[in-house]
Amino acid sequence: MKPTKYSQKVMDHFRNPRNVGTLEGEEIAVGRVGNPVCGDLMEMYIKVKDEKIDDIKFQTFGCGSAVATSSMITEMAKGKTLDEALKITRGEVADELEGLPPVKMHCSNLAADALHEAVKSYRAKQKQAAKPAEAPLKRELRSVPGEKEFLGRGVYSKLEELSSLQDKRILIVDRGAESLELAIKLTRYTGRVVYLTPLKELSASAELKNRLKSSDVKILYQAQLLEIMGEKEVEKVLVYDLNEDEDYPLFVDAVVVLPEIKQEKS
Amino acid sequence: MPTAPCGFNQGMTTYLDYQSAKPVDPRVLKEMERYFLRDFGNPSSLHSDGDTAEEALDACREKIAAFINAEPDEIIFTSGATESNNLALIGYAFRNKVKGSHIIISELEHISIHNLAKFLEKNGFKISRLPVDRHGRLSLEKLEDRITPETILISVGYASNEIGTIQPIFEIGELAREKGIAFHSDAVAAEGLVSIDVKRDNIDLLSLSANDIYGPRGVGVLYLRKGLRLNPLILGGGQEKGIRSGSENIPGMVGMKKAVAIMEEEMEKEVKRLTSYRDRLIKNILEKIPRVHLNGHPTLRLPNNAHFRFDGIEGESLLLSLKDEGISASTGSACTARTLEPSHTLICIGLLHQEAHGSLEFSLGRFNQAEDIDRVVEVLPGIVARLRKLSPLYRRKEDL
Repeated sequence: MKPTKYSQKVMDHFRNPRNVGTLEGEEIAVGRVGNPVCGDLMEMYIKVKDEKIDDIKFQTFGCGSAVATSSMITEMAKGKTLDEALKITRGEVADELEGLPPVKMHCSNLAADALHEAVKSYRAKQKQAAKPAEAPLKRELRSVPGEKEFLGRGVYSKLEELSSLQDKRILIVDRGAESLELAIKLTRYTGRVVYLTPLKELSASAELKNRLKSSDVKILYQAQLLEIMGEKEVEKVLVYDLNEDEDYPLFVDAVVVLPEIKQEKS
Repeated sequence: MPTAPCGFNQGMTTYLDYQSAKPVDPRVLKEMERYFLRDFGNPSSLHSDGDTAEEALDACREKIAAFINAEPDEIIFTSGATESNNLALIGYAFRNKVKGSHIIISELEHISIHNLAKFLEKNGFKISRLPVDRHGRLSLEKLEDRITPETILISVGYASNEIGTIQPIFEIGELAREKGIAFHSDAVAAEGLVSIDVKRDNIDLLSLSANDIYGPRGVGVLYLRKGLRLNPLILGGGQEKGIRSGSENIPGMVGMKKAVAIMEEEMEKEVKRLTSYRDRLIKNILEKIPRVHLNGHPTLRLPNNAHFRFDGIEGESLLLSLKDEGISASTGSACTARTLEPSHTLICIGLLHQEAHGSLEFSLGRFNQAEDIDRVVEVLPGIVARLRKLSPLYRRKEDL
């Protein structure tokens, strides 16, 4: 079966998705699953009252089934108790949609996971379990294979002449505020600046984050540089996705690895 | 302007996916008919009509050779470009193994070339895969760096059928000729859209398909420069000078001949028309939709190709929404692939996975009209806006 042979019900939920949006407030919890690397990202927002899902909204980046399954599950979950919501399975979502192509079943899995994550997150909040503080960027810096080899041939540990990187595809590794500033500066010379960080969220001042958001820098969260490769100069890198536990190639012309981590002065 | 074939998509869809399939031009079909029903290829019963199968075959060879500035006896008929690629790579590599066992291809090849390279690797050959720049263009320097005394073949596709980028074929041919290395090009994406001249470009082997110039499916050509040898893959009665056995598909070849004849007449005007449609499409999309980018080279691109990526949304949803509006296009998103991997071409130009997923390709062709472009420009902004409202990725950039 072609991946995109969809039932009428799936198409209906795709064309007219129910409960699109976000929620804010004290009684809100979010479930976030998936990963842009694999092509699906879902966010499920629930508002809980008396242990019941009073309101629910979703946002999805993904294909037709991703949108349809998210929409369907919000319909199924609204008004249910948290325990009932936890029991909703992907099979049930697919059944309500009158079937999904086999290769698309993982989308319904994601939708169920997103809902369950939201419920778990709400419960954790209730217990006032402190969110474990994310470990700051480690101080010990191990160099990756290829880093020393290609120094001067695509790998940069410091940058004086930024114009030499005109129109190149640049990868810059998170080394704190200094590397962030550099990434933003580089967008004046090229449209392709990718910023790699193992963190889920960048630790930077609001001002720096603002400038970042209006720049063209693309950020890869929860990602690590594994290896730098090429023939006579840098041609590509291997990136490790901490979330998906997978590695994949990224074709670049230059890699910037500053030697020290310099956080912003508070 | 040729009229669309009768019943083409029942006039119901705006077809903008010519790179994946083209209709046969009705004039081609007309020409082929008699070779199915009347002059069905038996030499001894055809002389009353004046055209023998052999004459028809010779005429086909001559016509197609002239189209690419080759000699008639350098044309080998095959069942299509995939077979031509097989002959070129496997046939040439094994025949010339004594001279060396290193082959260079680009990262941006058709899947048949990639799979042939993998096969050759398993069978004693070493393969180098040339990376490309952010537009998909090869660098002559990197090519030269990878050439060794063991290199016997360079295979580079004329242009990318996905992002439209045209390769520096003339320069590659020059370099290959200088080094005494055979140069093969899979020209399917470029046929009928750019001028192909094997002598001017120092091309030694060339793969062509009939369908890509509005001829029938199941017919193709391998051009093999005189003096070069390769091993046949299909053995039998010794047709095509023993290189490709099998009773000749006369109707198919006649179809290709007619397709070429039409191209010779109409290509210049057609390319002008397609270029203006393509440019209008690109200009309008880049103007009307925020955070959209053109993939591939801005100027050195096929006249019929417009390949975009849209921040924050995904390709299959784009296609489904376009389908609802009666528009057919294509995407490099993983969600539509059988393997759930994003397009290799898009990764090779340096795109991140989510960018590759958010890609959309329009490829125009002979039967498109100006209204087709208008239709896309009319509906696409709304589709993109709707999908962005649904997307956490688009929003996320806003509240970093």
